[in-house]
Amino acid sequence: MRSALRRRTLWVPLLSLATALVLVLQGCGGSSGGTETGGGGASVSETGGAASEGQAGGAAEGKRVLRATFAWPLKIDPAIGTDEAASTALVNLYSSLVYPTASGEVQPYVAESWDVSDDHLTYTFHLRKGVKFHDGTELTSADVKFSFERLMAIGQGFSYLFKGRVASVETPDPYTVIFKLTKPFGPFLSTLPRLYIVNSALVKANEAAGGAYGENGDYGMAYLNAHDAGSGAYEVEEFDIATHITMKKFPDFFAERDPDSPDEFTMIGTTEASTVRTGMANGTIDISDQWQTAEAYDALAKLPGVKVAAFADGGQMYLMMNTKKAPTDDLHVRKALSMLLDYDVITKDIFPGTQISHGPVSGVLPGADATIPALSFDLDGAKAELAASKYAGKLDQYPVVFEWTAEVPSEEKIALMLQANAQKVGLNVKIVKTPWTTIIEHVSKPETTPNLVSIQVAPDYGEAGSMLDIKYSIANQGSWQETEWLGDKEIDSMIADALSTIDTQERLAKYKAIERKVMELLPSIPAFDTVAHHAYRADYITWKQLDDPIPVLGYMFDARFIAVKPH
Amino acid sequence: MSVLGFVYRRILHSIVVLFGLSVLIFLLVRVVPGDPVKLALGPHASGEAVALMRAQLHLDKPLPAQYVYWLADALHGNFGESLQTRRPVSQDIAQYLPATFELALFAGAVMATGGILLGTLSAYRKDSWIDNLVRVLAYLGVVTPAFVFAVLFMLFFSYFEHWFPNSGRLDPNLVAPPRITGLITVDSLLAGDWHAFVNALYHLVLPGVALAMAGLSQQARIVRAALVDYLAQDFVAAHRTYGIPEWKILLRYALKPSLIPGVSILGLDFAALMGNAFLVELIFNWPGLSRYGIEAILQKDVNAVAATVLVLGVVFTAANILVDVVVAGLDPRIRLRMGREAA
Repeated sequence: MRSALRRRTLWVPLLSLATALVLVLQGCGGSSGGTETGGGGASVSETGGAASEGQAGGAAEGKRVLRATFAWPLKIDPAIGTDEAASTALVNLYSSLVYPTASGEVQPYVAESWDVSDDHLTYTFHLRKGVKFHDGTELTSADVKFSFERLMAIGQGFSYLFKGRVASVETPDPYTVIFKLTKPFGPFLSTLPRLYIVNSALVKANEAAGGAYGENGDYGMAYLNAHDAGSGAYEVEEFDIATHITMKKFPDFFAERDPDSPDEFTMIGTTEASTVRTGMANGTIDISDQWQTAEAYDALAKLPGVKVAAFADGGQMYLMMNTKKAPTDDLHVRKALSMLLDYDVITKDIFPGTQISHGPVSGVLPGADATIPALSFDLDGAKAELAASKYAGKLDQYPVVFEWTAEVPSEEKIALMLQANAQKVGLNVKIVKTPWTTIIEHVSKPETTPNLVSIQVAPDYGEAGSMLDIKYSIANQGSWQETEWLGDKEIDSMIADALSTIDTQERLAKYKAIERKVMELLPSIPAFDTVAHHAYRADYITWKQLDDPIPVLGYMFDARFIAVKPH
Repeated sequence: MSVLGFVYRRILHSIVVLFGLSVLIFLLVRVVPGDPVKLALGPHASGEAVALMRAQLHLDKPLPAQYVYWLADALHGNFGESLQTRRPVSQDIAQYLPATFELALFAGAVMATGGILLGTLSAYRKDSWIDNLVRVLAYLGVVTPAFVFAVLFMLFFSYFEHWFPNSGRLDPNLVAPPRITGLITVDSLLAGDWHAFVNALYHLVLPGVALAMAGLSQQARIVRAALVDYLAQDFVAAHRTYGIPEWKILLRYALKPSLIPGVSILGLDFAALMGNAFLVELIFNWPGLSRYGIEAILQKDVNAVAATVLVLGVVFTAANILVDVVVAGLDPRIRLRMGREAA
């Protein structure tokens, strides 16, 4: 009996069942009607139904679709979002008075022209007529004023760019808007791309009562968290805050766009290497995020049709030194530390494709002084500096604590390099892997700020002044962008003076003087100028901005200038 | 009635446990370094904006007062606003929980059926090549983390062979069925949308199987060990001498009691699936609660962390109670013990 049962080979029907299930799923799961599944969920649909709960991958036949991955979460309220994903979405969903260029200047956008008063305190913008919001209503000066007031009342996002600088906004007629400044502010026009214009009527109609902003309720924050109220080249088609946003082309957009620009632009919230690689291989992801490792980019570059683009984004990696804590309160120690890094190895092997820094701002920003000598690896020089420091002979009592960001594993390689070289010159460097949230907590006070911390900082507008302001102004101390606690009044007043200088060339020259002064004090080590890497499907995408990159976050992904072949 | 009494008691115990969990997680999330408001608002937020958010989160109050506010709101289903998504946490949970629940249900089904089938086959073919193969694979399954399976499955079945999709819950060209339960497979069946059902199932395969592998392997090992023991018992030999068919001995007399240890573990495994799904959800871009919770921890999203842990705690305790009931159904001795405990 037992042997008879043994002959009933259970595994044969089981295996058959499993195979049949796979075949059935494969057959049914990816196809229906006119839909055909490509690999990994890539689909081609004749009808192009609305996407939901799924990811990028579906594309109606003949449709031009662009799908790119980004670090998440995404905040699409123009009074809140500032990071790369948010900036990208805002650039596509909203328009602004002016548009940044690669040279750091601005060009007309919603404003077709502007006048500046002789005292440079009054900017009068003349708006284009017929600019339509996505609901069809016309954009007027009242919307600009409302957008500005909303941004400042909420006090988040890019509001800091205008805080204390703009006294009032006036709207003498529907097509004229006047900004009155409290004091001259040279880069004012460069900051205006960050003032995204919202549809005031739509926002007011969706303000939730009982919010924190008096008669404005919640100022439409709940609504704009999930919807757009813009006039940009794209409008929200579907937004799943967990996974992706799909934006469709707005047919009545007022400005130019490439005739081959995508009909749909989907931003996908993932940076997971295996997902990105599989998606790019299958054609369900067209542009990768910039957070892949060097090894991952190498692998992506080997995929058929894929290229890896690299463009300077105006940012810099700093090893910020606490100037109020021993031993980095001593300039000689700071100089010695700067000589313990091999910058060639960093830019070629650890962060390949990045550029060696010349000074405390990225070389691509207008106002960067390219004549400042790059820092260099010099063990003998480091020894000499340490010998000249007030801690000479007792350095063993003053370990240098170096916190590197746990979420960026490559930073550990810099820390280990510094530690190894420091040992050779008798300096004890203690490396601490620290989560980002803890770093933010630590750097909020000088006594808890470590001697060294590695942090990348990017500019919010395309001028060296943006970086100098957020890095070295006294007002910015205690934020994660300024952990040096430099508090140098001379530099502070030099920055204020430069920012209030109207003449562009004069202002840029002042920036350069500040940069030289900063390098004399060396509160931070500019490890390298950051370069954003993105793998993209060059076989069907023409990424025109690569020819002339705009060093302002988000603008490289203005989809109206990206040409895509139809699926 | 005795089992019912036992369940009532377990529910009361669970409420105490959940209360303790809420205190613990509330305190833990607040003592971890990092200012949640500064993290949420960024380095340039105005002082007014920071103060406003602190007041909204009651962070300007002492810890006990904060807890009272939080508990009072939570009892009304209001877990506050998420700092990540800037919308009510309850709304986030309502969106993310069904996705993880559906994934865990699928993985649980794979885990249970696969584990029992392989364990039975292995025990029945004890010391054969099938048994050896299953045991080796089970060892591998137990020691290999789910995310490794996730990556391997994605590479083999999505990257090299385009058999299964690599992300999401449904092909983007499909319209999701009207949301009733949030489980797309169930909602599509309720809507009579057979194609969406199959498509959703198709999306569940890779993440679900990857997530199930560890539990499946453990099940297979436990079922095998228990079944081998039972098949060697005297009563089985007695049944054979009475001429009872071998399949009947196996399925009716030996397998049923052999499932008890496996089922006990299954409930815990299922609850663990909900919490451990993070990396699988990340790799397959699955919009679930587990991924949401981990992101919340990284961003110190205090309200989201507390609510997510509490929800997972509820699932965990509910799964435990359910397992106790199922085990009682399988073993009359346990029913008797429950009755005594309830009395």
